[in-house]
Amino acid sequence: MPRLLASALRLRRDPRILKFPPYLSLLCILVGVAWLFLLPLDRYSRKTYISENALLPGQVHTYFGGSDQNVFRAYKHEVNELVGKSNTEINDKLEPIVKGLGLKTARQNFTYHAAGHDFSGENLYAILQAPRGDATEAIVLVAAWENVKHEINRNGIPLALTLLRYFKRWSLWSKDIILVLTPDSIAGPQAWVDAYHDAHDPSHVSSLPLKSGLLQGAIALDYAQEGRFERVHVVYDGVNGQLPNLDLINSIVNIAGGQMGINIALQEMWRHDSGYPDRLRTMLRGMLKQGLGLASGAHSSFIPYHVDAVTLQPFGQGWQDEMAMGRVVEGSFRSLNNLLEHLHQSFFFYLLMQTDRFVSIGTYLPSAMLVAANFTIMAIALWVKSGQPAAGATSPSSDKTKKLGTTTSPAAAERDLFLPLGVVALLQSLSIVPLYLFNHAPESALTPLFATFALLNTLLPPALSHLLTTLPTTPTTPHQYNLIKSFSLLLLGMFLSTLATLNFSLAMITGLLAAPLSFVQPYRSPAAKTAATVLLNALSPTAVLLAGVLYWGTTDVTGVLREAAVAWHVCGTYSPVVWGEEAVKEKTT
Amino acid sequence: MRQFLSFIWLSLLSFLVIPSSASSAVDYHEQLNLRPLPLSALLASFNFRSNTTLSEFEKGNFRFFPRSLGQILQHAGTRELHLRFSLGRWDSETWGARPWDGAREGGTGVELWAWLETETDEEADRKWLTLTNALSGLFCASLNFIDGTRTTRPVMSFQPEGDHSTDNNMHLLYGVLPHEVVCTENLTPFLKLLPCKGKAGIATLLDGHKLFDASWQSMAIDIRPICPESGECVLQIEQTIDMVLDIDRSKRPRGNPIPRSPPGDQLPCDTSKPYNSHDTCFPVDHTPQEWTLSQIFGKTVKGTCPLADPAIPPVCLQVPHSRSVYVSKDVYEKKNSDDASRCFHISPDTELEMMLPRPDDGASSTTTTDLATPETPLLYAERSFTGHGQERGGVQTILRNPSPDTEVEFIYMESLPWFMRIFLHTMETRIAGQPHANKSLVQQVYYRPALDRARGTQLEVRMRVPPASTVFLTYDFEKSILRYTEYPPDANRGFDVAAAVITILDPPPKDGRFAAYTLRTTSLLCSLPTPDFSMPYNVIIFTSTAIALAFGGLFNIVVRRFVAADEAQATGLGVVLARLKSRLVSAVKG
Repeated sequence: MPRLLASALRLRRDPRILKFPPYLSLLCILVGVAWLFLLPLDRYSRKTYISENALLPGQVHTYFGGSDQNVFRAYKHEVNELVGKSNTEINDKLEPIVKGLGLKTARQNFTYHAAGHDFSGENLYAILQAPRGDATEAIVLVAAWENVKHEINRNGIPLALTLLRYFKRWSLWSKDIILVLTPDSIAGPQAWVDAYHDAHDPSHVSSLPLKSGLLQGAIALDYAQEGRFERVHVVYDGVNGQLPNLDLINSIVNIAGGQMGINIALQEMWRHDSGYPDRLRTMLRGMLKQGLGLASGAHSSFIPYHVDAVTLQPFGQGWQDEMAMGRVVEGSFRSLNNLLEHLHQSFFFYLLMQTDRFVSIGTYLPSAMLVAANFTIMAIALWVKSGQPAAGATSPSSDKTKKLGTTTSPAAAERDLFLPLGVVALLQSLSIVPLYLFNHAPESALTPLFATFALLNTLLPPALSHLLTTLPTTPTTPHQYNLIKSFSLLLLGMFLSTLATLNFSLAMITGLLAAPLSFVQPYRSPAAKTAATVLLNALSPTAVLLAGVLYWGTTDVTGVLREAAVAWHVCGTYSPVVWGEEAVKEKTT
Repeated sequence: MRQFLSFIWLSLLSFLVIPSSASSAVDYHEQLNLRPLPLSALLASFNFRSNTTLSEFEKGNFRFFPRSLGQILQHAGTRELHLRFSLGRWDSETWGARPWDGAREGGTGVELWAWLETETDEEADRKWLTLTNALSGLFCASLNFIDGTRTTRPVMSFQPEGDHSTDNNMHLLYGVLPHEVVCTENLTPFLKLLPCKGKAGIATLLDGHKLFDASWQSMAIDIRPICPESGECVLQIEQTIDMVLDIDRSKRPRGNPIPRSPPGDQLPCDTSKPYNSHDTCFPVDHTPQEWTLSQIFGKTVKGTCPLADPAIPPVCLQVPHSRSVYVSKDVYEKKNSDDASRCFHISPDTELEMMLPRPDDGASSTTTTDLATPETPLLYAERSFTGHGQERGGVQTILRNPSPDTEVEFIYMESLPWFMRIFLHTMETRIAGQPHANKSLVQQVYYRPALDRARGTQLEVRMRVPPASTVFLTYDFEKSILRYTEYPPDANRGFDVAAAVITILDPPPKDGRFAAYTLRTTSLLCSLPTPDFSMPYNVIIFTSTAIALAFGGLFNIVVRRFVAADEAQATGLGVVLARLKSRLVSAVKG
């Protein structure tokens, strides 16, 4: 033991030990990334399985069809006549139809303000009371008038109506079935589910006059495509990267694939050959969506309330008709109806590779944790470094003398904590400014604001460092630089490791983008300085946002910012906060 | 031979008995009331009632009174007993006022309340335990789970229906099991209590398949002593079964109950739609349709119960006199004077089959002339949870008074499980449309707080709802964390909270017999914080612990100053003493 201690002591005094952490950090990042790329392999991912035995997916015969098709066609005529009419007119027309099925109906008004716009509308919903049930539990069928791409749900709404009419004939329901018809796919469902749980702001969203029991699951129908379809796309991303219970997705895959012969697609992977590249692509797309944390469909709003929900989206040209889609929903509802307990058995944290392969949190979490750990390691290293005298001025012997005598003049530097802590705290709190501005600016102001912010983001760090070096009273010492960086990295590491347990993908993406922060240091040569500045600015949130917009090209900067603002106000998405946080870190170099 | 002998004995006995006790009321009545309801539903109310004089009862001559139940009552000192088995919910928006003014129904699950005659509360508890356990065995229900935590002693809500002498020391106990699933095993013992055991008379219609496929059903047993002005006190047992059948569903043949869609040409279509064609059909649902008794119940009434009072018609049907009803031969129809009901007398050996044809004006769906108009209930009540999360919650009851001019005063009673700790100070009432709480609505509150694991919360509120207004009654509660072993096997389901009982005081006088109109809300499902035994959290916890330990060690090694023992400063008591000594010395010198 004394030998061990002595060797540890020697190691600790060795100045080379401070050379070691950057390499360790780099290793952490590399291993973290490599880990991620290993996940799609068969050895690291697992086959999905149904964990909750009560679900019994695909064990029942489905009887939807026959003359229900005639009814569907009639409802479709009714819906087609309503295209282009106002929300209230649509509801005025649909309500008698739903009432005619023998359901109890009610309406709900909502208004949200975001990005200078009003998002208002009226939800229509109906409750099919379980014939022998007691209103303690309910399952939800959502059909939005428009999907997230603003296509009209021409088949989804008639199909939902026909299904409810069919469900009314059965007496086996143990849970109420709630049909929710919303004008859009984001604000409407959010308003409804908020009000259902009394988490709404009564001045903007009206309360629900009619309620049932605990929501046990929800399925959203997004069937805008005309004609026959080939496969079904299951959208499962919730707000803030929360996911529904894996059992729900597995059941639907099982019912659609195993019973109906309809294959399932995930994450807009229209073709999937089960090979490594496709698995990786599915996973990365899933991670990107999870990282962005935006609502991806009418189901997304349900997930934060612990109501497991997915959107079903038929696509492709095939031979499956609307009745087949209806039978998928029927089978899923029968499965949910079997549940005795709330879905809890299977995973809530997972990454799906393909319909029947996934990795669970235990397997993937280390990669994000390793990336987060790199910051912590560097922070500790910098802290230690800041406690040592400036390079060249000390020798191991002087170090020893310092520790021996209390009165001998200290060669070790005292840590001056005020300035570093102050700077870090100030910069962290400054991040509220862009958060507030971007969320409260009207849409027209978003692009100029973004440009200003990008400019500021580029100019502020050099200005700040200039200010710090030429501080009139006490010029900043390298130690203080180290401390500033140490505290920032410590915070970053802490936040990211915490975030990784909530939203793995966001932590991973942010961690990788911020990785260079571990390694930059005050450079002497102008070339290195310029290179570092360019790199950091290229990875700053503003630049990443621009690059993303240019790469995908689906919308412009304003659109992205508006969506983020809407998400903040409507769904309570917090991922923009994280993006903002990252900006702050930049400045500390 | 023995059977024959006993038959002779029985008939002799009946000859002896009937004339002698003719004055003390005919002992056994049974009646089935059928009332078609809107949206092709049918309410069937079965009522069986028999009396035994109290003196005979105490001597052990039970006569029509079921012996098994009678002995339990005697053993447990029960003076009045009410037992309910219910399933589903009464849809008062569509179906109107409740049958029997709500006096013969319970909340979902099993409900039991009884007046026990004992000296002390402790003795009442003991007898209550005996009673619940005995009834549990008799009715194949988990009534033995009505323990102290589920028993309350209502103060304002329940009033005895029978006549009790005032000097008796009566204790009212009330227990409810909201999670109990009522099924066939409860029906069989129920039917066995009847004098004809479900073999003759209207009870032959009672079949588990139909009863438990009903949209709402309630089985009730009421036992009460009745003391007429003149004559001897009698003990009355009344057994009631109410069920609302869906006519479409009931008409499906038993061998093929799957609701397949009908062939396209049999689908009732709205032909006025322009797009109507052979493959496109806007459906017209819930049109009134014809039904027969055997379609609905799967069988016909097999004669009458020979023990029943022949003066009382066994079957009544509540449809306007304008509608024609076809019955099998030897059935005599008698129209009542109220223009909304008719009754049928049958001779003991005939089978009763009845057919209600579709109304003549088949096109107009639910015109009021086809059905007796449902009576508007005095109050609508709906209860739901507010809030979300595992820590706190709230309960909101929406009470709507439909009457344009009469105020409704009632007692709202909740018996909540102990793990819902309510905050009484948050209880408030608000009239819809008004921003602030209205304190004047609540007139009296009786509150008995819960004791953890010993008894539940009892809350009784006497309040009123002004005419034509809606009142929100809300309160918040906190969810306690249960012990590991206190969770049921399906812990993640949540915990059922019994229905609230609303007793309307002084309802406007009606020709019915009931002093109060009661209604019950639906039960609720309360999800408590449940320990997560699943793997991912364990993984997170273990990895976090491991990382924390590793980090602690690493940090320690990096930051701590290691010195060899000979280089270190001396520590301990000696050093302190030496330092003190040197100080002293320097002080002395200085």
